[in-house]
Parts: sequence; C-alpha cells; structure tokens
Amino acid sequence: MTQETLFLKNTETFAESLARCGVKYHFAYPITPATDVMKRMAVILPQYGGQMMQMESELAVSSALAGAACTGKLAATSSSGPGLTLMHEAIGFMCAAELPCIVFDSMRVGPGDGDILGAQSDYYVVTRGGGHGDYHTIVLAPSSGQEIADIMPHGVRLAYKYRAPVLFVLDGVSAQTTESTTLPAYNDYSAEFDTSEWAFTGTKDHAKRALITGSYTHQDGYEMNEMLRAKYEVIRNNEQMWEQEQVEDAELVVAAFGIHGRMCRDMVAKMRAEGRKVGFIRPITLWPFPDNAFEALPESVKNILVVEMNHGQMVDDVRLAVNGRVPVHFMGKTGGDQPMHTLAEMITEANRILGE
Amino acid sequence: MENLSSKYGKTLNLDKLTSYCPGCGHGIVTRLVGEAIEELGVMERTIAVVGIGCGGFSHHYMDIDAIEATHGRSPSFAVGYKLAMPENIVFTYAGDGDTCAIGLGDLMHAANKGMPITTIMVNNTVFGMTGGQMSPTTLEGQVTATSVKGRDISSQGYPLLVPEMMQSMAGVKYLARESVDSPKAIRKAKKSIRKAFECQVKGLGYAFVEVIVPCPTGLKMRVKDSYERCANEMTDYFKPQVFKDETEQGDVA
Repeated sequence: MTQETLFLKNTETFAESLARCGVKYHFAYPITPATDVMKRMAVILPQYGGQMMQMESELAVSSALAGAACTGKLAATSSSGPGLTLMHEAIGFMCAAELPCIVFDSMRVGPGDGDILGAQSDYYVVTRGGGHGDYHTIVLAPSSGQEIADIMPHGVRLAYKYRAPVLFVLDGVSAQTTESTTLPAYNDYSAEFDTSEWAFTGTKDHAKRALITGSYTHQDGYEMNEMLRAKYEVIRNNEQMWEQEQVEDAELVVAAFGIHGRMCRDMVAKMRAEGRKVGFIRPITLWPFPDNAFEALPESVKNILVVEMNHGQMVDDVRLAVNGRVPVHFMGKTGGDQPMHTLAEMITEANRILGE
Repeated sequence: MENLSSKYGKTLNLDKLTSYCPGCGHGIVTRLVGEAIEELGVMERTIAVVGIGCGGFSHHYMDIDAIEATHGRSPSFAVGYKLAMPENIVFTYAGDGDTCAIGLGDLMHAANKGMPITTIMVNNTVFGMTGGQMSPTTLEGQVTATSVKGRDISSQGYPLLVPEMMQSMAGVKYLARESVDSPKAIRKAKKSIRKAFECQVKGLGYAFVEVIVPCPTGLKMRVKDSYERCANEMTDYFKPQVFKDETEQGDVA
C-alpha cells in the first residue's frame, strides 16, 4: 500500500494504520463503538497476508492474542470498556510474559454494561494496570485521525522495544469522528526487532523455552518481579509524550487528553485573542503520565484546570505531578444527551478561575 | 546407567524426577504424549500450551517449547498461535478442571473452529492441585472437599461428558476417550494420542482425546484402589471409545 489521503472514521483509520505498520493478525469481538476496527481489518488484512479472527468472547480474544504474540509476530485487538474488562486477564499475562501486542480501547460511558456513548471513563483502568499484580501498560491517547496514523509506528516500536502490550485509547467521540487523514505507505515496523532471542517457535534453533508467569517465589521469582519494576522505571523516564502550547507565560494551564485536548487549541487561541494568559498541556502518553510537563511549569502558572469526559480520573495524576505547588481544578461531564463540556463552558470556567 | 534417550527418544526429558504424586495418571499420559511427538518426528516444531493445575507440570518433562497459559484458556492461546504459525504443531494439555470447568467455552469454540490443534484432557474427576475439590466431571455421589456429602446431581448436575459434546462438530476430525487403568488400556490410549497428533500433522482439523486417570492424592485413596476405581466406576460412566476417526485421509507431512 502506498501513501494516500482518505476521508475515514477514526476507527477505520486505526485499522488502516495497524495493517500498514505490520499487524498481520487481529482478534476481536463486536462491541460499539469499536466494531468498525474489526470490520475493516476483516476486509484489508488478507491483502497484507494476514487475517482478522472473530472470537466468541473478549476472554478468548485476549488469550488468542497472547498465543499469537508468543510467535513474535505482530497482532492486535480492538474493543470498548466492557470488552476491555474481560481482556485484562491476558493483558496482565502478556505484561508478565513480556509479549508485544497492540490493544485499542474506544472508550464508552458508565460501569456495568455501560452505554455506547463516548466517554473517557477508562482512564483509571488503563493507567493502573487493569488486572491483578504489579504491572503497567504503555497507554497512548491520540486525539485525531492524523495523530493515530502518525503515532502508530512509534506504538509498534514501543511494543517490541519493551516487549509489552501497548494500549491505544480514544474517547468514543474521537473514535467515531470522520475526517481526512494521510495514511502512510506499508512498512512492517516489527521487522526492525529480532524476536529470535525469545519467541516460542520450536526447538529447531534454540534450547527449550518455557513461558512461565506463575512463579514469583524464591530468588528467581523475586528477580523476575524486580526486572519488571526496572523496566517500568525506564519507560517512566524515557517515554513521556505530550503536546503543549503557550505555557511559557501562562497564568492558567488547561490539561486534557483526547477530544478535550484537541479543543484546548481553539480554547487557548480564543482566550489569548482576548488577552487572557492561558496555555494547555495535552498528555499523549497517559502511562507513563507526562509528569515532566507539569514539573517544568513556569512560576507564572497560578492555576491548572483539568477537563475530562468522566468524573475526574486524570486529574489525580495532575495533582500527583504538581504535588500541591499549584491549585488544580476539575470540570468533567459524562453520559446524558451531551456527554461532554462544550468549548463555551470550558472558556467560562477558565475565566471564572482567572477572575478569582 | 542405560542411555534412556536411545530407547525413548529426545522429546521426553528423563533426567528429571516428575513432581507428580506417586500413582498419578499424569505421568503415563505425559509419556504417551512425548512418545507420539517423538514417533511423528515433529519435536522441533511442537509447542505445548499447558493449563493451570497438575497438568501444567507436563511440559517440564519434554524438551519442547512450552507456554503456560492462563487458567482454562489454552485452547484460545492455541488458536492464536496456530493462526500466526500454522507450520508448527500445537497441543494443549490440561486436567478436567482447567479444560471443562473454567475453560469449557474456550474449548468448545476452539473445537468448533476446526483448526488443526490437538487437545489432551486428563480427567481424574477432581481438582488435584488445590487439594481435591469437586470438578465438573466428579461422579454422582463422589465425596470431595467441596461436595462433602457426595455430588448432589439435583443442584450440582451430572458429570460432564466432554467428547460427547463435540460429536456433532464437523471440524473435529479425531475424537476419543481412553483410560490408563491397565496396560491394555494404556496401549489403546497411546494409539489414540498418536492419532490425535497425526490428525494435526496432516492438517485435517481439531483432535481431542480425554484420558481417564486416577488421582490417589486428591481422592485420598491407595494407589491400587485408585486404579481399580479407574477401571470400574470411572470407566463405567466415562466409557472409553473412539467417537470419530477421520485421520485416514492425507499423508503425514
């Protein structure tokens, strides 16, 4: 496939980006608002010599994904909140087993069955590991179709560099937005990495390899846990990503990811035109959280406003990052007929804080 | 000491003492699996996907690559593996708890997909590793740590007949239940296990063998008594038989 610009739903852009970056196998179970990824994968993967396999549940999806990942080949899945909950069994397994893969969560609203409305309600579950035991997954949160396409090579490289699942999260609003995106030419980024050192491909060229994640006692088990801790520390120190604008002299910094992060650009432009000293920080990695962006805030910043499509989840990480140095305010809305705050509401709240 | 690998081949690692309890049927089944792989000459491209429980130990005694899957999910792991690496031979090995309690859904859908995968289910009617609790295959009236007055079929159901559930699935090309209660039964079990691997080597479809074995520790029985139970009560209900054999087509690749 050559480079081309298409007018696509961002879920479809996600599928195209996966296939064009080397994903050969995709496992999934239908769920709104993520189904368009598996639908498009079913059509396009055979063109790349791969296959989309529909499984009977998300438990089976993530298990099959783990099985495919054992071969060293690049595989992916796509789902939404309730499906992601089931997938956490094997996502945690793959973190312990050090297996690379790509997971996509198109976030919807509410606990329980939830509803199909877009939201940012899975921030906690994706940034805190998600299952039992001490582990993290790398979480990337692009906010547009173009950013999905642009960041996918990096996502694949992170998965192989750290031999770990990489999660992409989009609020269902961003995921279902249709927009023009320039898709890259085909390039298998996983081919940059030598998997022959660890993949479970048979003993033809190596001594027996056994994938065991159920042994944390004794010295070797302790060392395995410590190795994971050290790996997460390296990721924390090296892989923080964010976008920021006009922070240098800002009195108020707005922090948001996904669709709200994208709205910050208009918000800051409008308020700057009115002489308001406002800047924004848009985290692109949710884990590792971009602490460095908040630690480097200038003295001019007197307040931070966090905007989310939930009841306040990322705001906790902002508070941890500034550690009491700056007051952190929160506004968030989820569910209902208009499941998020409007740009006008964000500006009104920012002006209220500036006027305090 | 005699060089055992000249007699048994390289697949079985005979340098290790197994961690199976004395009298456990797993040792026999593990050996039969190792011999089948050895005889078919596919050791270097065979992958074990083992379950959680005593069955999870099995790969330690074979010099092949192995994946210890999450509890019950071996069949789904195998499906993903086989899709990505169809040239390799993938088998799952687990007990009745892993295979037909927590993993029944994964098992049935993997079987119904009909991909060339081999599953060995070792049925001893009890959760062995956790200390003898009731499993889906626990016999009616059988006393376990969690069915202290015997399995009550009115609320706990009848013992699950797993291969019978797969009989109608066209994608299942070899389907059998065997036992290890006597040398004769073991010879038959060996033949079935070999066929179940051959079925995959020929690329025909899904193959499943349930093996009825004793668990003296979990059943709190003497070894001899546990084999008698295996030959009588267990195989009276779980009747050894070849349900389906469509392996005569195709050549061993």
